[in-house]
Amino acid sequence: MATASLSAPVAAVDDLTRDRSGHVRRRTLFDRCARWLLPLLFLVAIIPIVDLVYWVAVRALPTFTLAVLTTNPSGASGGLYAPLVGSLSILLVATLVSLLFGFLGGLATAEYLDERSASMVRITANVMAGTPAIVVGLFGYVTFVQYFGWKLSLAAAAVTLGIFMTPYVFRATGLAYTSVPSHIREAAIGSGARPLQYLLRVASPIALPQVLSGIFLAMAIGVGETAPIYLTTTAVELPPVGLLQPASALPLYIWSGFQTGYILPSAIHLAFQAAFLLLVIVVGLNILVRIVAARSRRRLQGLFQ
Amino acid sequence: MSSLPAPSADVVVSVADLSVRTKDRALLDHVSIDFSAKSLTAVVGPSGCGKTTFIRALNRMTELTPGLRVEGTVSYLGQNIYDRSVNPVVVRRRMGMVFQRPTVFPMSVFENAAFGLRLVRAGEQEIDAAVTEALQRAGLWEEVRSELDRPALSLSGGQQQRLCIARALAVRPRVLLLDEPTSALDPGATQRVEATLQRLKEDIVLVLVTHNVGQAARISDRIAFLHSGRLIEVGPTADILERPREKLTEQFITGRYG
Repeated sequence: MATASLSAPVAAVDDLTRDRSGHVRRRTLFDRCARWLLPLLFLVAIIPIVDLVYWVAVRALPTFTLAVLTTNPSGASGGLYAPLVGSLSILLVATLVSLLFGFLGGLATAEYLDERSASMVRITANVMAGTPAIVVGLFGYVTFVQYFGWKLSLAAAAVTLGIFMTPYVFRATGLAYTSVPSHIREAAIGSGARPLQYLLRVASPIALPQVLSGIFLAMAIGVGETAPIYLTTTAVELPPVGLLQPASALPLYIWSGFQTGYILPSAIHLAFQAAFLLLVIVVGLNILVRIVAARSRRRLQGLFQ
Repeated sequence: MSSLPAPSADVVVSVADLSVRTKDRALLDHVSIDFSAKSLTAVVGPSGCGKTTFIRALNRMTELTPGLRVEGTVSYLGQNIYDRSVNPVVVRRRMGMVFQRPTVFPMSVFENAAFGLRLVRAGEQEIDAAVTEALQRAGLWEEVRSELDRPALSLSGGQQQRLCIARALAVRPRVLLLDEPTSALDPGATQRVEATLQRLKEDIVLVLVTHNVGQAARISDRIAFLHSGRLIEVGPTADILERPREKLTEQFITGRYG
């Protein structure tokens, strides 16, 4: 009989505590080592980050008062009001620019274009994402500062930075909309939804939180990015007054503070305070990403089975 | 092959010579069948026989799959739904669809049921009345009446599926297409969905794709047996089960394959 041959002969004594081959012992040992090793490696991985934040804080905090946030810089001293406002203005306009191209482009690849065109757009975006920031800066200088005649200005810096941020927003948007389960799409269309109605009423409520996370991440990358704005605006000591006027930015003060720091030690304080402010903004944006993701996960629980 | 059934006065959907092809093969091969008002037709057949393709072709859902070519006609109350002037969106509002897995949207129970009505910008009062009626017809009202604002995704699988039925019913379609609606449900939930369908066939046309001959036997009036894209046989449930004319049908229902 076929079934009889499958069952092993039953030993009179079958000691469950003995491991004759040694396999189990070896695996147990490996498991124990891994349990110790992984947290250790995790510590090794976070040491640089903790170290970085610690030293920036140590150098910035002793001289960090409210005045840093409210007074304009003056030579190598003063506060960081102008570059802070400048950074945030550039970031705001740059985000709008990246939304215009990145969001609409991502939406097009996910919902409207056929597979062939979509993959061509995706390849283009990947090339853009891989373009060195300084090259994007150079492009911005030639195009906006020179050709459009915007001079070194908030607009030139913001549009250049927006182009730099576009592939991040594009990728997040495309991923978010393609990850809407296809059976949800079918159900909406099957209920008599027109494509636009599907997009607005069904797909967007599901995808937008993920898009928003992507935007915040792109902002976190963009706010500290130096090369695109280094060539397209210039450090001035007053907050920006118009789109075509220069706008200062925090990374520029880190750069110039570092450069003059050898001669003027007070300039290096300004650099570290700017660095600290940037870190706070980046961490804040990352916390926002977490909050948005957690909330949407709770709302969409059970949708992606 | 079945012969064309004699046209009768209460035919709602009439399928004539319907074929669905991909580039290199026919998923559905010259199928002709009529569906009358107040009936539940079970479409059965082995996996891959084209039953899902068949009901998707009935409300032009086949168009969502690139590369499919549809030939022949599907007439809804005398109009060919594949006519150039016909809007597929309107077709799908008259012929709703329920899928294998529950497909509730991440909204409240009420908003899910109201979905189709919001699409046509119905008034609030109309929506309230239609949602209540649809939930009652779907047999879900008693379970959710006090918590219509609850997220639909928190309902059980069986409740979600009946909510999908309610969502389809809320726009008052004359035809409801069901693609293996109980295949993801446990026996208790299956029973409740079946009871719902039995009540619904008193007023609309139901076309139920199922791989489960037992389910067809329990609730259908008529069975259509598909095999390799062809309609082998169609007839009253009892006849098909007890006296199938075709050998293939007999083999399928006696469980010899499929």
